[in-house]
Amino acid sequence: MLEARLDTANLFKSAVDAIKDLVQDCNFDCNDSGIALQAMDNSHVALVSMMLKAEAFSPFRCDRNIALGVNLTSLTKVLRAAGRDDTLTLKAEDAPDVLNLVFEATAQDRISEYDLKLMDIDQEHLGIPDTEYAATISMPSAEFKRITTDLMAMSESVTIEATKDGVKFSSTGDIGNGSITLRQHTPVDKPNEAVEIELSESVALTFSLKYLTNFCKAQPLSNQVKLCLSAEVPLMVEYGLEGGSYLRFYLAPKIGDEE
Amino acid sequence: MARTRSKGGPASTSADKTASTTAKAASTSTYTLPAESTNPPKLFVLPKNTSSSVRIITLENPRYGNPTRYLVCPETGSFYEFTKAAPPNKSTPRSWLLSSEKSEKEPALESQTIQSPDLYLATPYDPLFLLLPALFKSSSNSKSDNQQRQYLSLDDYLDLIPNTDRHFSEILTLPNSRIEKVLEARLASVCDLVEMGDDKMYRPNESKLSTIILSKASKMAENLPPSMEEKFIKKALEAPVMGVVKDQPPPPPPPPTTSTSSPEETASPSASESQSTVTTSSGTTPSTAVTTPATEEAPEPTFAPAITASPATISLQRLRTSLNFILSSYLPPFLSKTVLSSLPSETFTELEEYLTKLSKLRTEAAASRNIDINGGKRARDEDDDERLEKKRKMEQEEKVKKANTSRGVKQLAKVNTAGMMKLSAFFKKA
Repeated sequence: MLEARLDTANLFKSAVDAIKDLVQDCNFDCNDSGIALQAMDNSHVALVSMMLKAEAFSPFRCDRNIALGVNLTSLTKVLRAAGRDDTLTLKAEDAPDVLNLVFEATAQDRISEYDLKLMDIDQEHLGIPDTEYAATISMPSAEFKRITTDLMAMSESVTIEATKDGVKFSSTGDIGNGSITLRQHTPVDKPNEAVEIELSESVALTFSLKYLTNFCKAQPLSNQVKLCLSAEVPLMVEYGLEGGSYLRFYLAPKIGDEE
Repeated sequence: MARTRSKGGPASTSADKTASTTAKAASTSTYTLPAESTNPPKLFVLPKNTSSSVRIITLENPRYGNPTRYLVCPETGSFYEFTKAAPPNKSTPRSWLLSSEKSEKEPALESQTIQSPDLYLATPYDPLFLLLPALFKSSSNSKSDNQQRQYLSLDDYLDLIPNTDRHFSEILTLPNSRIEKVLEARLASVCDLVEMGDDKMYRPNESKLSTIILSKASKMAENLPPSMEEKFIKKALEAPVMGVVKDQPPPPPPPPTTSTSSPEETASPSASESQSTVTTSSGTTPSTAVTTPATEEAPEPTFAPAITASPATISLQRLRTSLNFILSSYLPPFLSKTVLSSLPSETFTELEEYLTKLSKLRTEAAASRNIDINGGKRARDEDDDERLEKKRKMEQEEKVKKANTSRGVKQLAKVNTAGMMKLSAFFKKA
């Protein structure tokens, strides 16, 4: 039996919104530590990993490990019925056929309840090791979204180059080339706009912009985004949430095929 | 239950009695059986018209090259090989109980049981087979034809016969031994002969050998044991049954007489030497006694085989079976090939033609059977319906799937992922 209540539906809505553009169906793995999700896109070059810890819910109850196989488009449709500030309660039996969602608008005393049919999904689960990245860049998530959108006009791919001077996003395409360089700065009054670069080694890697713009749909989740890079390993884009919960995306770098 | 037990009582006591009497004879203790003999007697069926000088010698088996025992009668010059007749069903325990009638000539043997149910038959054996390896061995190495072979005397050839235990030379030198004469006659039958004064010199001739083997085979083919007839002739030539045929098929060719003579007998040099003992023992030869003769099987009333073998084909198949049997049991392997290749090529043409036709028919029959299993046209129509429905379902599912796919996923499908490794290359499966 699963019962998990979120104070605002917004968090779950945004997370599902971001994931649904990467994968179609996936399992929400529920256990007593929280709700986790791991899925790859159809091409298997990108991976999304979500962890909503039990602390993010109040209350959270999960007696037994449950895998909720969900079509994310369908889930999005149901979640569209939830107001931003509604409380959201997820409920499921131990061997569930449906996921029960209840939205409560406390101000209007309005309660809506939906049952979403579940499906059996065969999914391979990858073990992701803890990696010491050569470069870890923290920046405003809105800034990262803007960079990817801007560079999409130039090319399909972006080279991210991290040096001690700063981080440079550059694209070269048919119509020309463009680049954006961010320098490290930490305004005391606006911590959300800080750009921080932790670097043990300079790295430069090329990625598919389309995937990155897709990742940026998680921007409402968090003000800051963290990019972690190392040569010849997938890029990690992390949207950190309160209480250690997170939404992470991994993307394989482009090797050898530079446009 | 009780009845069987009461019945079993007296029976067991009588058994005890006999046991005790034998025990008394063997040892002083009253109720124990005598110890089992470490070298239990074996039961032989031996030829009748042999002299007292008959003995068992060990010679090299011309086919397998292992030492094998043969029974030799020096006075008649006849050889016998031993054939072991074992019970067909090993799971049923069997033993021999031997007791002798009282006769004045011989002292009565004590009655006894033999645990092993085996029976050894001495069957006539053509000593030519013993000579063959020595005759043709020298020539097999160098691929010489008849011209290059040397003429040698009988003694030279006899020296070539492996004689490790000196058994062979001993029987040659026995008084009144006709062995050498018999061997010479057999040698002459497969050799070219040149007389140099008093000495006769022999040179092996392969075509003569194949003629002899072929005549042995045809003799054996006249009288195949029913078990061989069933397995190698009837089964091998049986055509698949195809559909209903109005007229009755011709009755199967008359099978050989029900005599169960073993094939070794036909391979013997002359019929006159075949032993009466063999005939008496034939009933106990399990391999032949168990199978039913081919005649007892009534032809199918309404179904007829697609083709039936002509009598000539059947006799050819019999001949080939016999030939293969002789070649694979009595001749050294290298000689079997030589004999086969020196046969006239057209010997088995008719049979070959029939067999190719037969194999074609069999594959056809197998194919048509498969169609039968798939059922008639109606069943196929139903299959089609089912397939169409499945297709419709699949299409519908696909539609639902498409509707449930987000725009983002659809767009990502268009992304050029060349040069991007799959994530499973970086992260191992958990």
